[in-house]
Amino acid sequence: MNNLDRYSKIFLKSFKIKKEKLKKLKYNSVPQWDSIGHMSMIGSLEEAFNITLEMDDIIDFSSYEFGKKILKKYKIKI
Amino acid sequence: MKKKSLDSLELLDYQPNRYPFLMIDYVTKVIPGKMANGYKNFTNNEWFFPIHFPGHPNVPGALQLEALAQMLTVAITTLPGNKGRVTHAISHTVRFKREILPGERLEIETKVLSWKRGLCKGLGKGIVAGEVACEAEMIITIPEILDQYIPKK
Repeated sequence: MNNLDRYSKIFLKSFKIKKEKLKKLKYNSVPQWDSIGHMSMIGSLEEAFNITLEMDDIIDFSSYEFGKKILKKYKIKI
Repeated sequence: MKKKSLDSLELLDYQPNRYPFLMIDYVTKVIPGKMANGYKNFTNNEWFFPIHFPGHPNVPGALQLEALAQMLTVAITTLPGNKGRVTHAISHTVRFKREILPGERLEIETKVLSWKRGLCKGLGKGIVAGEVACEAEMIITIPEILDQYIPKK
């Protein structure tokens, strides 16, 4: 499984959505991505990629696509 | 916090619920961020026994779960900076295994599985006379902390 698959799988599992929705997925765009879902998804990413996100990055992590850019800062290429 | 136990007055600093909704009497041992144990005595004078149920009084399941959640809360609110903060329940999965009758004591054991950024996942177990009466997997939050990490859109 490559990084993109691991990354996508976390969103699919955390928010129980279909793959087609990933591209446009944003915070609060589905009921499951609320404040609790956000924290749970962040925790899963940290575990999967063995990183600890900084507070500002957790706040900025507002969409599936933008999250890829944030992970670049942690040397995770998606 | 250095103390390892909280009596009925001390625990009020770490648990915002009050009579008749305070469901823990004493915290016998707390390790902040890790665990909290204690008990609740259910005397004949409890407000709910006359109505739950007439002729067959027993402790409502919702209040058993509340007792577990309140004890888990203490394990978090005793961490530095959390004293007096309000907590909310997010989701609880509970199993009831035994009735609790007037005069019985519920021993409560809770364990923190994770505590990060205002979100706590934990386990709780209620024991009466050596038997497990209820068990729960719980997620609680301190909204004041959690909200600091939410995207601002």
